[in-house]
Amino acid sequence: MGETKNTPLVEHVFRHEYGKIISFLVHKFGPSHLEQIEDAVQEALIKAMQVWGYNETPQNPSAWLLRVANNQLIDTLRKDKRMVTGEVDKLHDNIQQFQQEVSLKGTINDSQLKMIFACCHPSLSQEYQIILSLKLIGGFGNAEISKALIKKEETVAKSFTRAKKKLKDNVASLDIPVELGLKSRLNIVLKIIYLLFTEGYAASSGANLIKKDICLEAIRLALLLSGNKYCKTAEVHALIALMCFHASRFEARIDLNGDLVDLEHQDRKLYDRELIKKGISHLELAAVKEEPSDYHIQAAISYYHCVAKRFSETDWQGILKLYDLQLRQQYSPIVQLNRIVPFHRVYGADRALVELLNYKQGPHFKDSALYYAIQAELLTDQQNYKGAMAALKKAVVLTSNEMEKKHFYKKLANLQATRP
Amino acid sequence: MSNFLFLFRGGDAARVQQSPEEMQAHMQKWGAWMGGLKEHDQLVDGLPLAKEGKVVENAGKVITDGPFAEGSEVVGGYLIVTSKDLNGAVEISKGCPIFEHGGNVEVREIMTMNM
Repeated sequence: MGETKNTPLVEHVFRHEYGKIISFLVHKFGPSHLEQIEDAVQEALIKAMQVWGYNETPQNPSAWLLRVANNQLIDTLRKDKRMVTGEVDKLHDNIQQFQQEVSLKGTINDSQLKMIFACCHPSLSQEYQIILSLKLIGGFGNAEISKALIKKEETVAKSFTRAKKKLKDNVASLDIPVELGLKSRLNIVLKIIYLLFTEGYAASSGANLIKKDICLEAIRLALLLSGNKYCKTAEVHALIALMCFHASRFEARIDLNGDLVDLEHQDRKLYDRELIKKGISHLELAAVKEEPSDYHIQAAISYYHCVAKRFSETDWQGILKLYDLQLRQQYSPIVQLNRIVPFHRVYGADRALVELLNYKQGPHFKDSALYYAIQAELLTDQQNYKGAMAALKKAVVLTSNEMEKKHFYKKLANLQATRP
Repeated sequence: MSNFLFLFRGGDAARVQQSPEEMQAHMQKWGAWMGGLKEHDQLVDGLPLAKEGKVVENAGKVITDGPFAEGSEVVGGYLIVTSKDLNGAVEISKGCPIFEHGGNVEVREIMTMNM
């Protein structure tokens, strides 16, 4: 046997190759062969798992995997008798094309870009768009997705099967939408990436490691877009910045007991400096003359939080201005409610309570945990502990998120202790 | 010291269920396990076997696609290790990652001319 020296593989290389090769083969053969392609790539990975363990990892793992997947696919399609002889030659050309594609390191792989557009096709529901992106581009397994999103594995599998069917029914071939269509299609893609990120980022008892991977996958997809000349819009950069800033706080917002830590009590030494730096550079690239997008504003807010050395040094004035801008551009009750947090820091609890009352009496008021959590914060500041406790109790009832519940209970206990 | 043959059987069903990430992790365990054997000069040889094959009978009068055995009985690969005795070889086999997938290892001493 040869050397048993195993060159250490890059982290997640199987997962990423899976997505790359699926995209490539779907691009070449069309979504109608999706299942056979999935099986072939899975088979290739199993072979790799068996062979690479014994021997060194091949010099070019991508090409190795594609060759094996390709052969497997030829076999299957032949058996299915769906393929005419000419198509076999096409398969052999594929390998060369693929090698050209993968050798362009750092630039977006053309078929993956098209695959992103296919998975985010407007004819698909948001739920389907998310699951297709996670499975076919991200290379996540059903069990991983179910753990991260706290869904039954069976539910994930069923929804993926339905999503695939819909994809095959609606998307005949993979393309990049042309000019006029591109902008609106790109907006959907960005929204899905943003949703992927928020799914991963949501504080829940889901498996934290995988949740982080989903966040990083969302960033990776956006970075792929930003490397393409048609897609590197200011919004894409703003979205990347926003995700980097949020992700930089990933470790700090959950403590060793797995409990939620709010911004005020986070250990800022745990913030990921590299991600913040990356976020800043993309925020610079995102500069626009015209109106900033929602991603721009959210990124800027997150930026202020990341760069404040201490909670007390946060530029609340700056943040409040951003919220005002966001509200002016497009009214949203959630934004109105969240705006009260920086407003409180700038103008104090008394005036913030007036704002809160305005919101409550407005047409968009909805009983929510967030509303009562903010109310509790303001009342605590006024040393109205009884009122604060009553508000927190309502917040506990209204949230279905276990981690939030625990967090509110902890605050309640603290209030009980500080109450004279 | 004697040489021992390890035959790896089964585990296929579990493998098919895995996500790419899990497969990579599993593969790296095999690499680490074999790397360890090599470091201790216990590894002589070994390779995986392809799933497809032929079974030849009656000097080729009957040739069938094989192996026939149930999935759990198909040999997926082999390894030759050195150890002072069978017990030592069994001890070595216990670290094999195949057990994670419900597979097994058959350990057999390889006979030599100078018994």
